[in-house]
Amino acid sequence: MKKILQLFLGILTAIGGFFDIGNLVTASQAGAAFRFQLLWALALGTLMVIFLVEMSGRFAAVTKKPIPCAVREHLGARVWLAPFVVLVVLHFLTLGAEIGGVAFALQLVTGISFQLWAIPVGILMWLFLWRATFDAIEYSTSTLGLIALCFVVAAVMYHPAKSDVLSGLLPSLPKQDAAKYWLYAVSIIGALIAPYMFYFYSSGAVEDEWDPTYLTVNRFVSVSGMAFGAVITGAVIVVAGLVLHPLSIGVDSINQTAFMLTGAFPFWGFALFAATMAIACVGASTEVGLSLAYTVAQTFGWNWGQSLEPKKDARFALTYTVAILLATLLMVLGIDPLKLTIYTMALNATVLPIVSIPFLLLMNDGHLMRQFRNGPIANAAAGIIVIISIVLFFVSIPLLIVGG
Amino acid sequence: MHLFRDVLDKQVEDREGERMGRVDAIVVEIRDGRPPRVAHLELGFVPLARRLHPRLEAIAERWHKRLGVRRSARFHLIWSEVLDVDIHRVQADVMADETPAQDWERWLRRHIIERIPGASRDEK
Repeated sequence: MKKILQLFLGILTAIGGFFDIGNLVTASQAGAAFRFQLLWALALGTLMVIFLVEMSGRFAAVTKKPIPCAVREHLGARVWLAPFVVLVVLHFLTLGAEIGGVAFALQLVTGISFQLWAIPVGILMWLFLWRATFDAIEYSTSTLGLIALCFVVAAVMYHPAKSDVLSGLLPSLPKQDAAKYWLYAVSIIGALIAPYMFYFYSSGAVEDEWDPTYLTVNRFVSVSGMAFGAVITGAVIVVAGLVLHPLSIGVDSINQTAFMLTGAFPFWGFALFAATMAIACVGASTEVGLSLAYTVAQTFGWNWGQSLEPKKDARFALTYTVAILLATLLMVLGIDPLKLTIYTMALNATVLPIVSIPFLLLMNDGHLMRQFRNGPIANAAAGIIVIISIVLFFVSIPLLIVGG
Repeated sequence: MHLFRDVLDKQVEDREGERMGRVDAIVVEIRDGRPPRVAHLELGFVPLARRLHPRLEAIAERWHKRLGVRRSARFHLIWSEVLDVDIHRVQADVMADETPAQDWERWLRRHIIERIPGASRDEK
């Protein structure tokens, strides 16, 4: 019974963690500029993230170690140094983007600047982490996150031509704006495989005390949670493709995209867009904030655990406190959340080999993983992920310069 | 036991299972005519920084002196105080809170965390 509940909640959490400011922005951009043509990038990124999340959950269930602990312990501090620095920076930028996303959604509804909204948003987010247990955080944000389904409803109500949607799933070359096309493809993938996705998942599995009996739950959660999340993101591409593309509206500011849903929900559309954006970003920002603190605490061997009270893990609690404070400050200073999101998502794609290769190596360590080590299918997937991630490493920064 | 594989970088826990850092360095004593022997394990930012780069060690050492929170930059865990080594942890026969390894944790708890309301969740 407990496992069925875990399965259900796990899928919800996976959806909750999946859909965030990164997906919303990159999917709207892609739909507005290239209609359904970039759906293939979503499909490819989703397949990659399914494998990464499944492996990180399996790894945590078998070894009872989250990824940062495992890499430092088994590959050494020097190997872990680069991924660690990269993870801290990216988690921090993502945290800023998510807090900015919530603040921007509030600006849409109230007209008051996101720079001002960032302060109460940061304080409330911190209070939530300070007071709530891991389960409470996981379940409340994920259940509320279902509001994002309004995009799926809208996509169905707009009646897109099925053949157009399906042909978008096949990769094709752009007719114009090639640099922009490839940048958007890279950003979509970067938003999907944000490192916090699988790092947070592995720490969460350890917090929930998974063991090898949870491997089936893990497989279902990673496949269906990510697939549902991808359906929502795909719906954003479709809606943006149907509403924004014909009007030749690019996504230069979030204001321009906010009426995407009003055709389907005339009265509620605008509010629904803002609510979805706010809730998705609240959910993701708590996960990113926690994931940052997990990564730091596990690297140095401090006490950690969101189920502990802050005074039992002072350094862990202080890590997310300082991170939220600085990320909020970033928004108060007026860094554009949209630009920050776009740059961060491209960076996610760039650093993928650094943060994933050490972990993928450990998936084959028989000493650690015993009979649960990667089989031929998972290793083939891992090999493809490594090849794609190395390509992304070389192309994303140049694309950002040329296409952005 | 392989020192590098099984001990270096492992989680250190005290006798009650409290996490107190990682094995940041291993100090081996070379003895005349006899095999070398593990003297102690070191825990702390400074020995960790030393493994990454000598310049980092100098910076870490300077900050350690300037901040003055930790009693010693290198907490020496004497090998005879190690109770058990397994795949998950190195267990030490000490109380974490009494060692310099937890000086920062204690200082931050006392001076910052406990001053913020709600640091213990059960308080009403």
